Amino acid sequence: MSMRKSTLGVLAGLAAGAVILTGCSSATETKATASEGAPGEGTSAVGFIMVGPKDDYGYNQAVYEGSEVIKKEFPDVEVMTAENVPEDDTAATTMEQMIDKGAKLIFATSYGHLDAALKVAEDHPDVVVVQQGNTITDDVPDNSGTYFGTVYEPMYLAGIAAGASTKTNKLGYVYAFPIPQTIANINAFERGAQSVNPDAETITVSTSSWCDPGKQQAAAESLLSQDVDVLTQHQDCTATVIQAAEKAGAMTVGYHADASSIAPTGWLTGAVWDWGPLYTDIVKTVIDGDFVGSEYNDNFRVGYKTGTNPFVLAPYGPDVTEETQTKITEAQKWLGTDEGSPFVGPVLDQDGKVKVEDGDIPTYADVDAMDYFVQGVVGKLAQ
Amino acid sequence: MTAITGDLKLPKERGKAQAWAIQALPVVVRWVAALGGALLIFSILLMIKGTNPIDAYSDMWSSTFQRSASVEEIFTRMTPLVLAALAVAVPARAGLTNVGGEGQIIMGGVAACGAYLFLGDAMAPAVLLVAMIAASVVVGALWAGLAAVLRLAAGVNEAISTLLLNFIALDVLLFLIYQPWRESRTGQPATQELTDLAKLPVVAGTAVNVGIVVAVVLVVAVQVLLTRTRWGFRVSVAGGNAEAARRSGLKVAFLVLSALMIGGALAGLAGMIQFSGVEYKLRPSFGHQLGYIAFLACWLARHKPFPILLASFVFAALSVGGDSLQLDSGVPAASIYVLTALILIAVLGFTTPRKKTS
Amino acid sequence: MSLIVDVLSGGVRGGTSIMYAGLGETVSERSGVINLGTEGSMLVGALGAYAVGVETGNPWIGVLAGAAAGGLLALLHAYLVVRRGASQFASGLTLLFLALGLTSLFGASYVGQPVVGFDKWDVPLLSDIPFVGPIFFQQDPLLYLSYFMVPLVWFVLFKTRVGLLIRTAGERSDSLTVHGYSVRTWRMIAVTVGGCLAGIGGAHLSTAYANAWFENMVAGRGFIAVALVIFAVWSPFRVMGGAYLFGTAIALGPALQARGYEINQFLLDAVPFVLTLVVLTVLGKKTLSSSPAELKRVFENAPPAT
Repeated sequence: MSMRKSTLGVLAGLAAGAVILTGCSSATETKATASEGAPGEGTSAVGFIMVGPKDDYGYNQAVYEGSEVIKKEFPDVEVMTAENVPEDDTAATTMEQMIDKGAKLIFATSYGHLDAALKVAEDHPDVVVVQQGNTITDDVPDNSGTYFGTVYEPMYLAGIAAGASTKTNKLGYVYAFPIPQTIANINAFERGAQSVNPDAETITVSTSSWCDPGKQQAAAESLLSQDVDVLTQHQDCTATVIQAAEKAGAMTVGYHADASSIAPTGWLTGAVWDWGPLYTDIVKTVIDGDFVGSEYNDNFRVGYKTGTNPFVLAPYGPDVTEETQTKITEAQKWLGTDEGSPFVGPVLDQDGKVKVEDGDIPTYADVDAMDYFVQGVVGKLAQ
Repeated sequence: MTAITGDLKLPKERGKAQAWAIQALPVVVRWVAALGGALLIFSILLMIKGTNPIDAYSDMWSSTFQRSASVEEIFTRMTPLVLAALAVAVPARAGLTNVGGEGQIIMGGVAACGAYLFLGDAMAPAVLLVAMIAASVVVGALWAGLAAVLRLAAGVNEAISTLLLNFIALDVLLFLIYQPWRESRTGQPATQELTDLAKLPVVAGTAVNVGIVVAVVLVVAVQVLLTRTRWGFRVSVAGGNAEAARRSGLKVAFLVLSALMIGGALAGLAGMIQFSGVEYKLRPSFGHQLGYIAFLACWLARHKPFPILLASFVFAALSVGGDSLQLDSGVPAASIYVLTALILIAVLGFTTPRKKTS
Repeated sequence: MSLIVDVLSGGVRGGTSIMYAGLGETVSERSGVINLGTEGSMLVGALGAYAVGVETGNPWIGVLAGAAAGGLLALLHAYLVVRRGASQFASGLTLLFLALGLTSLFGASYVGQPVVGFDKWDVPLLSDIPFVGPIFFQQDPLLYLSYFMVPLVWFVLFKTRVGLLIRTAGERSDSLTVHGYSVRTWRMIAVTVGGCLAGIGGAHLSTAYANAWFENMVAGRGFIAVALVIFAVWSPFRVMGGAYLFGTAIALGPALQARGYEINQFLLDAVPFVLTLVVLTVLGKKTLSSSPAELKRVFENAPPAT
């Protein structure tokens, strides 16, 4: 018996060996494919890869709903979606498979998909790969780009609601990793709260995960036990923290999705995604062959100043007074002007150092580079 | 293995081939039935989810075996599985259960990354690679050796200690990539990516790193080690009956220690290959459960080096097939674990005649 | 003062799922079978309870479903190990992967759907006791049930005939056979019961603690439970203490963060495992000798070295 098994094994080994007899070469050889016409032009299929499940009531659901809009707007285009694509080399494999099936435009929608996205773009010059959320720091290749909305703008507005409604002056923020968007979110939220309530402070707890319900619960509990009465978060799945707040009688500011149905008493407002219009414009640009040199062939950011921010404010809950709503509407208008910004100087960091001078207005790029928490935020930023 | 009892009396005139066939037939039937059962159950599950199983299987087949990129992916994923399975097989010879492949792979990757960060790429690539290999092998061996020492000194069972060490290794990894070794540019937890010089070379014309060669070579080496060396003989004696071995003068402690350490070294090497040939950086999901799958592959192969190649190939192919499940059939990629598990259950439970347990 | 109360309260809450699984694994290992698939039983229990809770609106029916799911998975393990002679480690791990795949396949549609879970209910009078009150008596009903589970398991194991049969199957199986009982049957019962309890642990995690379902949300608690049982030297009460200890270690991180302290999250995460190793080392050969005899044989005889 063992003889037969090892014979089988030897045969398998020889088969493997046969593949190897061709020798070795360096890892830098790439497979360049010939291309005619602009990258992605006239593509018959579009692919979306998501880091989580499409019904997570949050980030990925928003992406999926955006992809559904594409299906409607472009009935002749096949829309492919892949959920639970991890932020590692597996993403590249999935994208390759989509390309094999004819996709010449791929949306890599999670922050950590950038590396895989760039690799795939490099290997396929005729395919456009756009990435949601990150920033390409070196030269942007002809067939890639990043895009995002300025998420911190609606978070500033939500902060106003939180600051006006809190009774304990303590707000809580549950987040995953100290990526630039999260830092900007937290800072803007606190600034918004401070604008109507100078004593408000934001306590932060990191779960080191985009969705781990156990850790989220522990984080929420630790905040609530500190008399925090408004909770918000930057997580992919949002139900746990919201329910913890609701059960404790605390208020909630939502993120990614309108979850007011699970927090009927405590819901204040939230920031939710509406990717449809932006996705549609990107797809149209690519299909028309206009991608190279377009605004999307760059680190594209859109906010209240420059256009339609895909991140919009969710409907208000019962506790938000008329007065506060008016303040928020005015603030939103103000943010759309040249002088408006959550971070108009002076902005101090937690140690009291001046980070933005009096009267200065940081650009979108400046905000992306923030690596500190503003004064009023409690919690250490992992360096 | 005792698939057939000695009841069959074969006339001596019958050719060896025919004897083989007669003995093999019931075994083959059993295997086919078991695997068929696994496929059937998986098909039913797919149908419950509204997916046509025939379509799913044919899509899986064509996506996996008719795309050269996928075939190459199979070999890439197979490499660490082979090494980590060998890491289970060698200690098994000594009667030891090494469930710690997962942690040893992680520590091997960590060591390789540490060597890279410490030495930098000012060195010649060959030297750097050798240093990374050496580091990963040593650290992997030590990580497993720790379990061996605990067993020898305090009687702690190595199945439990290696299992616990897996989690500790994971926390070591997370600590390193969140703080000292974090590539702070993006705020995401990961180390910086290896420069091309430090990456493992690939087999010409493919995207498969040369680790596959190493894996095959080591399969042969381990087979030789276990069956044709004095050490291998002594280890199997100690594994059969430690008391008797001790009484006949064998240094059982040394054999236990060396067997586990060799296992750890192999798994550590798997970690280095995964780092330098596949992922190119350390991430929280480094190694994605390869250690446990390799443990199961080793069992499937009944702890023998050459069948380990085949078992690893099968599991790697299943893993690649799982990617297609998602794209083509709309079923979550992790569902492939169901098929993998069903196949294992079929083999573990139904391909040998009932054994009596006391 | 408040920090300690908060941390301990969170520790008890977070440790309950581990405790249920640990109780279950104690029963199983007492009969001589180790189940590395406990994590899997917790997973299917978590999803089962969540899904049924969503569909029926009743969390208690959900708990029953979770127990049943966990028990079924463990029954499979029992069957493979007891009746088909499979390796306990390999079988357990295989079933873990089965559970991972199944819950991924069938759980996707439940992510994000709200569930009516177990709400906090303060025990009258008891919850007012300073210090002890907030920690033990301001929790959810499923957690209160676990307070009864521990002495119940202890009682059944050590004071009833059923428990005696289970323990004998793990200590002196030949003695059982001599008296006309089937060792196999009692092992299978013990392992299945273990899985049911682990399933309830999973149910607590998804419908009482985190009120959510997500892929792989058990995150290693099942393995912690297996380690815990050995750490607790197979005693239900020590399992309880150990579970709360480990739960506290897990809850400590966020609690310190929320108060502005910078802690190393991963050092804390590693504490349960390091602690278990230390205890096992210190207890040394004594642990080995106090383990159920059949379990010792499983560890000694490990895989067949062919």
